[in-house]
Amino acid sequence: MGFLCNWCSYAGADLAGVSRIQYPTNIRIIRVMCSGRVDPTFVADAFLHGIDGVLVLGCHLGDCHYITGNYEAEIKMSTLSKLLCIVTFSDRMRLDWVSAAEGNRFAQIVSDFTNHIQELGPSPIKEGKNKTQIIDDLEAVKSVLESSRLRGLISRQRDLVTEKNVYGNQITVENFKNLLDDAINSEFVRHKIVIKIKEIGKSVPDIANEIGIKAKEVLEHIVVLRSRGLVDVYEINEEIPTFISIQGGKE
Amino acid sequence: MVIGAGIAGIQASLDLAERGIKVELIEKNACIGGRMAQLDKTFPTNDCSICILAPKLAECSRHPNITLHTLSEIQSVEGSAGNFTVKVLKHARYVKEDECINCGICVEKCPMRVEDNFDMQLRKRRAIYIDYVQGVPAIMSIDKEKCLWFTKSACRICEKVCEREAIDFEQKDKEIELNIASIIAATGYDVFDPTPISYLGYGRLPNVVTSLEFERMISASGPLGGHLTRPFDQKEPENIAFINCVGSRDLKNNPYCSSCCCMYTTKEAMIAYEHNDNIQSTIFFIDLRAGGKGFRDYIQRGCDDYAIKYIKGKVAKILQDEQKNPIVIYEDINTFEVKQPKFDLVVLATSMVPKKDAVRLSETLGISVDECNFFKSMTYHPQKSSKEGIFLCGTCRAPMDIPNSVVDASGAAAKAAEIVMRV
Amino acid sequence: MTNDDIRIGVFVCHCGTNIGGVLDVPSLADYASTLPNVTYSTDNLYTCSEVGLTDIKENIIEHKLNRVIVASCSPRTHEPLFRSICQEAGLNPYLFEMVNIRDQDSWVHMKEPEKGTDKAKDLIRMSVHKAALLEPLERIKVAITHSAVVIGGGIAGMTAALNLGNQGFKTSLIEKELELGGLLKSLNKVFPSNEDASNLLENIEIIESHDNINIYKSSIIEKVSGFVGNYKVVIKQNKKTVDIDAGVIIVATGAIPLSPEGYFGYDKKKIISQLDLESLLKNDQVKANNITMILCVGCRNEERRYCSNICCMSAIKNAMLIIEKNPNAHITILFRDIQASGTVYEKYYRKAREMGILFINYLPEKPPVIKKDVVDVYSDLLNQDIKIPQDLVVLSTPLIANEDSEVLAKMLKVPLEENNFFLEAHVKLRPVDFATDGVYVCGSAHWPADIAESTSQANAAASRASTILWRDHLEVEGSTAEVKTELCIGCGACIRICPYNAITKDEETDTAIVNKVMCKGCGVCGASCPKNAIIIHHFTSDQIRAEIFTYGGEI
Repeated sequence: MGFLCNWCSYAGADLAGVSRIQYPTNIRIIRVMCSGRVDPTFVADAFLHGIDGVLVLGCHLGDCHYITGNYEAEIKMSTLSKLLCIVTFSDRMRLDWVSAAEGNRFAQIVSDFTNHIQELGPSPIKEGKNKTQIIDDLEAVKSVLESSRLRGLISRQRDLVTEKNVYGNQITVENFKNLLDDAINSEFVRHKIVIKIKEIGKSVPDIANEIGIKAKEVLEHIVVLRSRGLVDVYEINEEIPTFISIQGGKE
Repeated sequence: MVIGAGIAGIQASLDLAERGIKVELIEKNACIGGRMAQLDKTFPTNDCSICILAPKLAECSRHPNITLHTLSEIQSVEGSAGNFTVKVLKHARYVKEDECINCGICVEKCPMRVEDNFDMQLRKRRAIYIDYVQGVPAIMSIDKEKCLWFTKSACRICEKVCEREAIDFEQKDKEIELNIASIIAATGYDVFDPTPISYLGYGRLPNVVTSLEFERMISASGPLGGHLTRPFDQKEPENIAFINCVGSRDLKNNPYCSSCCCMYTTKEAMIAYEHNDNIQSTIFFIDLRAGGKGFRDYIQRGCDDYAIKYIKGKVAKILQDEQKNPIVIYEDINTFEVKQPKFDLVVLATSMVPKKDAVRLSETLGISVDECNFFKSMTYHPQKSSKEGIFLCGTCRAPMDIPNSVVDASGAAAKAAEIVMRV
Repeated sequence: MTNDDIRIGVFVCHCGTNIGGVLDVPSLADYASTLPNVTYSTDNLYTCSEVGLTDIKENIIEHKLNRVIVASCSPRTHEPLFRSICQEAGLNPYLFEMVNIRDQDSWVHMKEPEKGTDKAKDLIRMSVHKAALLEPLERIKVAITHSAVVIGGGIAGMTAALNLGNQGFKTSLIEKELELGGLLKSLNKVFPSNEDASNLLENIEIIESHDNINIYKSSIIEKVSGFVGNYKVVIKQNKKTVDIDAGVIIVATGAIPLSPEGYFGYDKKKIISQLDLESLLKNDQVKANNITMILCVGCRNEERRYCSNICCMSAIKNAMLIIEKNPNAHITILFRDIQASGTVYEKYYRKAREMGILFINYLPEKPPVIKKDVVDVYSDLLNQDIKIPQDLVVLSTPLIANEDSEVLAKMLKVPLEENNFFLEAHVKLRPVDFATDGVYVCGSAHWPADIAESTSQANAAASRASTILWRDHLEVEGSTAEVKTELCIGCGACIRICPYNAITKDEETDTAIVNKVMCKGCGVCGASCPKNAIIIHHFTSDQIRAEIFTYGGEI
């Protein structure tokens, strides 16, 4: 699946057509006005629906028709990438820049990416062994990308590192990166937990086992999730509480 | 009426059209776009020239207030401000404009090979052609002087293969008469041919090229597909020399300064480096003229990030060795030594000169030219020509870069609008 | 709207053999007819021809189609055409979708017709699912105020105001000082004609008596609110507040020469600035015989890396004037690069050299040193230190941005670049526009400019402004963003992320609101909103998801 921006990459693709440059047939293109329109949840959705690879193509940095849209795309896709890395899915998404004059480059990128995806094989979500696990992982990724905390951070990233806040403080790129990475990692685990305990209540040690992290960490996350109103106690068996996801709650 | 559909003519037309004023846009070539369409990237942003130009081309051709006359030339101008009568000669295209869908089959089948002016004669096109792939209007034209049917009464293959029956050899040149309130001349420039400067070796030494040729060479849609190789042996150059002020600031040729070369040689060196970061460029200059917005920083980036060396000094001579590597002979002003570094490729930053037919057009329009044959503008009202109602913009009045051409064009549109409002 | 209400018509184009020669077009039309909500489906030889267009119109009416899909070439070239055809048939133009099966299918998969046809089927299916979710959108008409405000009454401001006034638009010219004229008032003569600066101010009479121009002297801008076509400017004239309505605003506030205070021992007596020299020349008070001028003082350095463009010519002009008056004078100009581009200026520079003015190149690492009666300088051309006798030193400093640029920029919501000059929308193609619609800039407020450039830019800004002012109303694109106020938490992320400043906070509800006139429909706000509270019309998340889901399939 390809998300192409109207002014540069889509025009580059058209140019490839006018120049009769041939490339593999596997790609289906969705036109958007700006690469900044591509919500990372779209990409998560694409993967959840079995799409093997996603290309997001925008104008070269500095050339965006809407001035700053592609910088936002870069930031969003970078966070998406980090999340996909956690679930070892990152290789199936690529962000690149194609100008309206680069028909050849467009065709090259599509060919290269198609080959790359073919080497990786069809999406693991279709094939089999860890199907449910992967679906859960991707659902968690999507959930994180939908959460206000992450969305708030990402949408304010450029602003926070380049301009001062009302107190005259400016966050360095390094600090922000750490802040964001921290948020990504912790939110991911939290959303994973929420998914794991969607159907039936589970205890902290059980959850820790399933996800593969320490029980202490799980407990910390449960506390946060409870305060957000996303999980609650299900029942208590021999002094060991189990928790289950609940509807509603605020992020 | 706007004469010339390069970036200046297009900008002026769009401003007037957006202002509710009807514009007759006259263009000599088959496609609009002018010099900017030939450039790869533009300084100081290094953005892709055709990418930023294309939306304007599309707007121009679609705007209800703009009537595009391509392959057209001015025959005569009579009358005065507010009431000119202009005769325009529209050359036959030999292709029906409503039918051609630019599918390209005719071009594929045409047997004639012609020097391509758009690509600075680095490539051959066919006798039926479109100036460049993204050209507007996206319609083919037949070059009467090279077409086998017109020269030898043979062929007509294009007609046979066209599914839309769009080829029409019976078309005739047409003269139309237009009533015009105000005229804007935006006819652009030609490139100085450095052959007379024999010591620079252009024309003799194969690896000495002009800057516009270099633009086509590095352009993604140019004859080399953006893969930079030098003319003689297609070797990838790693050492490039750029020589500024070729044919300008030169009493023997053109005494004026061509105003953009300092910036565009830096740009070309930057783009070359982006293609291949082994490339080291050297720019030979007299004064480095970079007074525009962001220009000094641009030059500094060239030094810091793009391996460009700036050497102050006039080049005395260019020779070549047995492998046709150019040797640039200059005097090092710090040590007074004569140095002879070897390069793989030499690019001459040739001066902008008035178009060949500028004087003839000035006579047709009834406006003066200055001593260099540029259209003469009033000192403190640069869009005003010597005749009321006729305005100038862009490089037809003086060498200038794209931002200045755009400002000029909008300025000329404002003055033209005043005349139209009076009528 | 229930599914029964959606009636999609699909028109698949052969485009001669361009598509038809590679893909199985009839099968595409057949396939389309099997898709949900598709009422009618057909194939045409050339959909964009008269015949094809009429076919669409007739079928819209006959089959009561309320969504139209054309599968042919690129929407970038043909969408406007088909949209207007829909409109002619009474269908809202935003209920139209195009599928690119030529430039992005048949032309690039010529050797794989079957796979190309499969691809086309997918693309058509995606479009059908999106089309079912399309909504009609209106192009709103917004009324505008047909007048302009020009801030700054120097050469640029006056030129812009005069042009707009001549074009018939009421213009308010706001000037901070007591009189119009700006920097020109402090100048003696101007280059390249070397005539009196006051000649250039002859227009003041015309401007002051112009029917369409209102001049507000001794006035500053207090507040600016509104948006293109509907600005409200509040100025303070002496102690009085005046409200002015305007459709457009032109910034022509100019720049100021840097005082050489702290450079080279500037003392205003023996070491003076070019501006000081202008007044001395005006009053015929230049008595010195050996004059050294130093260029690039306070610029092209770490602090100010730029070149101010006009100082070389200014210095040369003054040097020439001095020699004309006093042929015995010896003038030396110490420079780094001489800015004399173009036809006229290069000639001027040559003339100066022929008059005997000496030009010596100095290096920034070895700046000239001013001693009691000489200037020591290292000339890299001669490769030695030189002593130049002097009884007057003149320092050329750059034009720098006005101190109140920051304040004005914030009021107008326009950006400044790093030297505090105003930053235009696009350096190449929109040099006098701002990204914010309806505001323009010209003259030295944009970048140090000489008179010819200031005049050109002023006329250009007036031209751009007039493209708004002449209209009865502004028509706004339908595909803009919209905030669902019930979901908005007022975090302000969208406000800061919008490249066009098109989103503001509604004071009463504390939620974001998109100004449809200024919104360009890029969709970045929609992709960023923490609460998914923004709809990007015509490219909604639901529509895009519909395309993704139908391609991927269910898992």
